[in-house]
Amino acid sequence: MSLGWILDMGAGPIYLQIGHNVRRFVARGELAPGSRLPSARSLAETLEVNPNTVIHAYQDLERSGVIETRRGRGTFVCAQAPVEEMKRQMVQQAASVFVREVRGLGVARRESLRAVEEVWDAGGA
Amino acid sequence: MRPLRTLLWLEWRRSGVWAVVLLSSLLFWAWGLHQVRFVDVGRQVAVRAGLLTVAAVVGALVLCLMVGRIRSETRHGQYQVLLLTPPSGYAHVLARFGFAAATAVVYYVIIGGLFWWTFARAGVGFDAEAAVELLLACPLYGVGLTVLPALAWTLLLMVFISAYRVSGPGWIPGTVMILGTPFALRWIVDGLVDVSYRLPPWRLLDSVGVAVETMPQDADAQIELLRASLLGVPQEPFWAMLALAAVMLLVAGRLWQEVEG
Amino acid sequence: MLAALDRVTKRYVRSEGVQELTLSFPAGEVVGVLGLNGGGKSTLLKLLAGLLFPTAGRVRVFDGAPRANRAQIVYLGESDALWPWMRPTDAARFMRGLHKDFDSARFAELAGALQVPNRKTRAMSKGERGRLRLAMALARSARLYLLDEPLAGIDLISREKILGSIVHEWHTDETILLSTHEVAEAEGLFDRVIYLREGRLALDARAEALREAGKSVVDVFREVLT
Repeated sequence: MSLGWILDMGAGPIYLQIGHNVRRFVARGELAPGSRLPSARSLAETLEVNPNTVIHAYQDLERSGVIETRRGRGTFVCAQAPVEEMKRQMVQQAASVFVREVRGLGVARRESLRAVEEVWDAGGA
Repeated sequence: MRPLRTLLWLEWRRSGVWAVVLLSSLLFWAWGLHQVRFVDVGRQVAVRAGLLTVAAVVGALVLCLMVGRIRSETRHGQYQVLLLTPPSGYAHVLARFGFAAATAVVYYVIIGGLFWWTFARAGVGFDAEAAVELLLACPLYGVGLTVLPALAWTLLLMVFISAYRVSGPGWIPGTVMILGTPFALRWIVDGLVDVSYRLPPWRLLDSVGVAVETMPQDADAQIELLRASLLGVPQEPFWAMLALAAVMLLVAGRLWQEVEG
Repeated sequence: MLAALDRVTKRYVRSEGVQELTLSFPAGEVVGVLGLNGGGKSTLLKLLAGLLFPTAGRVRVFDGAPRANRAQIVYLGESDALWPWMRPTDAARFMRGLHKDFDSARFAELAGALQVPNRKTRAMSKGERGRLRLAMALARSARLYLLDEPLAGIDLISREKILGSIVHEWHTDETILLSTHEVAEAEGLFDRVIYLREGRLALDARAEALREAGKSVVDVFREVLT
């Protein structure tokens, strides 16, 4: 798995962060629906975290219908994972972060939107 | 899991070099014996016997040093590793002592052989019985009487010091033991002298004595001493010292299990 | 309870090791033992291993004395304690002959994964020796693992390998107590963290609970120990 897991020990419970990571991968298409996730233990090894934490994360994701465990086969992204919904949520989140930032700078709505368009057109990241 | 065998293997890997060097040193003594041929004939036996006595004493010291290397293990933490292994302290002590005792037996049997060679060079003819006496009976008697107890004592001393090391100065009980030993030894020797010769003595050098009497007349007067000693050696001290060694080993084994007072 | 300390005090000749420590450890936990130097971390682990006797209080492991149960305890001490002439094969022979639960195949696998070179320990670097000792420890199947600074003085790559191996080898009914100064690196492993300050328990908390409150184990370390 050459997925870019991002964990910050100071940014809240790890099991939630793992969940966010998985949702991000699914939303971005890096983890296609139906594709296989690493086993809890091997992911724990990769991330150097407690296997129980990964199990907790997987359980949480399973409850949210993002992933499913098939007995004896492993853990997979649900074929019917709500990818669009997750994308929408992430866009909202990104927007919240942006808006919070520019409001903090005291910038007006129109100027902020123009900034978005400029960056978008320039093909910038 | 084969505890005793593994511990013996560990001893061999740890102390094997010491044992090999010690046994190889006998070549040096043998060479020394050979050089004695330049001394005047009447004194050759005495000088050679003297050399071999030195070899015997040096050997005993080296063996004690070999068995007593627990201190270096304590310093480097390997003692801790051993403490945490399942085998009992008795197994650990037995393996250390066993390896040293086996080396001792080989060493002193060879010295017995060198004594044999010494007498043979002086013109004494030995039969099989005399050979067995010189090569086995005498060395084993000497080893049981002196070397084995000395090894057991050294081992006990080292375990004593190491066992109390963690909680404080381990050298205190060790010092007490060292200071107390000469007194204990004197008491033991006095006691043994009283008790000796009650049981029939072992005539360890009978055949040797007979053979020596046939030695050519230019042998040294020291041989008279040998004849005098042929009243036999007492059994009691041998058994007593072996028992003492066993007791010391038992105490050492029990102590090994302890990590602190 | 796998292991418990009941008001344990350990006094050394010139210093206090731990004071009035009461702790219990159920099966299946990975516990971080954190603190400054001289804070009592090593003392705690040695008490549980049976290498020290308490001055006061009681230490119980598997409902008995630690030394009596040493066959079910794996203790990995700080010191570099291996015989200098030992190669990994010798180390395996040593372990196999003296520990019933030692798995030679697993040791070989771990030694391979940790890239332990086939040399005498005197010709190994500190990191290589540390990895060898860890392979020896993890190839055993005990219920209680006491790892005292397994990452100390070891290079970054080796540390990552060591942490990975610990995660890999841990089973859900085993309890691991791990003391370390590399708190940031290891904190992901801990279910629970114990902070010791000057021999006393400063804080005993679940790692994820600390993070729910928005603090990392390292953040709390600074709070509690400075």
